[in-house]
Amino acid sequence: MSKKSYRFFGGLLQTQSNWLNKMAEKGHRLVRTGKMSYEFEDCEPGTYQYCIEFIAEKSQQSAQQYKQFLEDVGYKVFYKNINLNYSIGKVRYRPWAEKGGRIATNATTFNKELLIVEKRNDGKPFELHTSYEDRIAYTKTLRNPWLLMAALFLILAIVQKLWPMGIIAVLLFIPVLLYQRELAKLSKLAKTREW
Amino acid sequence: MGGGCLHDSYKGGALTEVMFYVLLATFTPRHGYAIMQFIEEKTGGRLELGAGTLYGAINTLAKKNWIEPCGEDQGRKKEYRVTELGRRIAEQELQRLRGLTQVAGEIIGGNTHE
Repeated sequence: MSKKSYRFFGGLLQTQSNWLNKMAEKGHRLVRTGKMSYEFEDCEPGTYQYCIEFIAEKSQQSAQQYKQFLEDVGYKVFYKNINLNYSIGKVRYRPWAEKGGRIATNATTFNKELLIVEKRNDGKPFELHTSYEDRIAYTKTLRNPWLLMAALFLILAIVQKLWPMGIIAVLLFIPVLLYQRELAKLSKLAKTREW
Repeated sequence: MGGGCLHDSYKGGALTEVMFYVLLATFTPRHGYAIMQFIEEKTGGRLELGAGTLYGAINTLAKKNWIEPCGEDQGRKKEYRVTELGRRIAEQELQRLRGLTQVAGEIIGGNTHE
């Protein structure tokens, strides 16, 4: 029996992986993803675990290499979009991406901002980033797009004196602050320990 | 392999445990999953590396030219092997750790225990 569900999680990566893990606990294994759709097939409840990885800062080549590496390790990996954008021929500059920014197009990395990684459940928590140093680096890649957007809206609000832009800026700073808090916590831990 | 480069690394100080274990794992050519297994086995499950962290460590070590990809790449999982430079770095690290455990042993007393 297969099952199809429609969900959209946007930037709520943890919520998305929690949902997939809950589905797996109920005996639904992910087989296909669409923009908003998730297709499942039946499996023994609790056989698989899921993790979401944000990879939009990578170039197409390094994203593919990373996906290949995860597959070689024995995981099943899906690409997933983070935003809802159906346009064709999209070209977008990502200043927060690696090496001073990257251009994303439909043919390369656009709509492939996330990886959904599936692992056979071995009773241990499924984490891709384990050392503090690496978790700090990864948390920064999560924070930077929000930080850039928030800063842009703030500048817009000040320059144009548009207070709705200011409200958007304030809202965009919420995820920035949450990631910043996580970074502060990790940095403190990293002072004495490596992981 | 420039002497200057080695000298820089020599002055570089301590390796992180993750980096040192990945380096040690590649004394025999291993692919990613085998490196994870090696580390888990050798530490009795104390150090379990996430795949993303391992990927970062491998890339860092390869960039420093302490390890290199080896063997035929086609259709097979990419394997890594320690380079001559990496081997020397590992030997220096062993010396450093020997010194450290000796001091720790003298101060804490007896054999090392928790």
